[in-house]
Amino acid sequence: MESASPTELEVAQLIVETLNLEDVTAEEIESEAPLFRDGLGLDSIDALELSLGIKQKYGIQLKADDENLTEIFSSLSKLTQYIVDNR
Amino acid sequence: MSKRWQGQVERGTTGALHLILWIALNLGRFMARLILYPITLYFLITGSAQRRASTDYLNLTLERPANLLDNAKHIHTFSATILDRVFLMADRYDYFDLEIHNHKLIAEHLDANRGCILLGSHLGSFEILRATAIVKRELPLKILMYPQHNEMMMQVFSELNPSLSDSIIELGRPDTLIKAQEVVDQGGILGLLGDRVMDANKTVQCQFLGRETTFPQGPMLLASIMKCPVFLFFGLYLGGNRYQIRMEHFTDRVELERGRREEMLQIWTQRYADRLEFYARHAPYNWFNFYDFWGRDDASE
Repeated sequence: MESASPTELEVAQLIVETLNLEDVTAEEIESEAPLFRDGLGLDSIDALELSLGIKQKYGIQLKADDENLTEIFSSLSKLTQYIVDNR
Repeated sequence: MSKRWQGQVERGTTGALHLILWIALNLGRFMARLILYPITLYFLITGSAQRRASTDYLNLTLERPANLLDNAKHIHTFSATILDRVFLMADRYDYFDLEIHNHKLIAEHLDANRGCILLGSHLGSFEILRATAIVKRELPLKILMYPQHNEMMMQVFSELNPSLSDSIIELGRPDTLIKAQEVVDQGGILGLLGDRVMDANKTVQCQFLGRETTFPQGPMLLASIMKCPVFLFFGLYLGGNRYQIRMEHFTDRVELERGRREEMLQIWTQRYADRLEFYARHAPYNWFNFYDFWGRDDASE
């Protein structure tokens, strides 16, 4: 497993805090594993909470008509990249 | 247990649907309703699981043992509302006699340009909302729905009313609720149904008609995250061409105290289940969950 970058760890921390994940720590979220369903097992309610968390912390508003939304949420590294590119 | 209703494939074929559609649109509602009798008989004879579910439910709401005639009335009510969806999609609102309770409730709310959640159920016809929208005004409504569940019917209805798909937000995608949030942010109405479990991980145990069963946490979770008011909607079919529209203010805000989240979710969802029970007793044959709602078959396995 490739170790997460500091920014990735920060985003992972946000995921854990926003979603009150109890059985996983930020360090345990793999950067390439899927966040939804089979991977971390997040669902669309989690996605909404996460998007609100991202808006609050980074001031980035995720838009539903953004074609890449599914892609952005596909892994920790993709999500982190998106935040880095847009803040 | 979330598969309880998803396992039930919509019965019938596209060909039969198109035939009914043709009769409905060319010969009118009266003629089309004559077909409901053989349809009811067909499902009464062949749908033993549905009939069992119907009896199980009606025993509780009617407070007496349900008989075959009750099952027939139950199935007939369901088929009648499905048929009426055809007329609603084709903008034939003139067919219906609507008794609307509290119609100003949502209009007044929208005037303030605030979005809200409109929480319905599979009790009665949520679709009749389209007609009530026309009566007073165009409602900025989007409905959360599983597309794959009734794909065939949706396809037929979309042919009738191409704007239909614009008013639906598909459930089950990561961006589903981000879209939904935008609807509410823009002062729109987000319609959803709160009685079927979609995600086995997010459920809560509630009492319904005197027995414990599983309800989805989703609606109340969503309301708490979106911090918007919740209204209830029931479009109850009373026979003939009569529908009774019941709208209620449920709450201005669902607040889940930290540390008491699960407990609060149960309390809020139980409040919804209680209203659902109230209307189920008021219009018993409108219950369109023709599956083992209490999961008793699962439990006995």
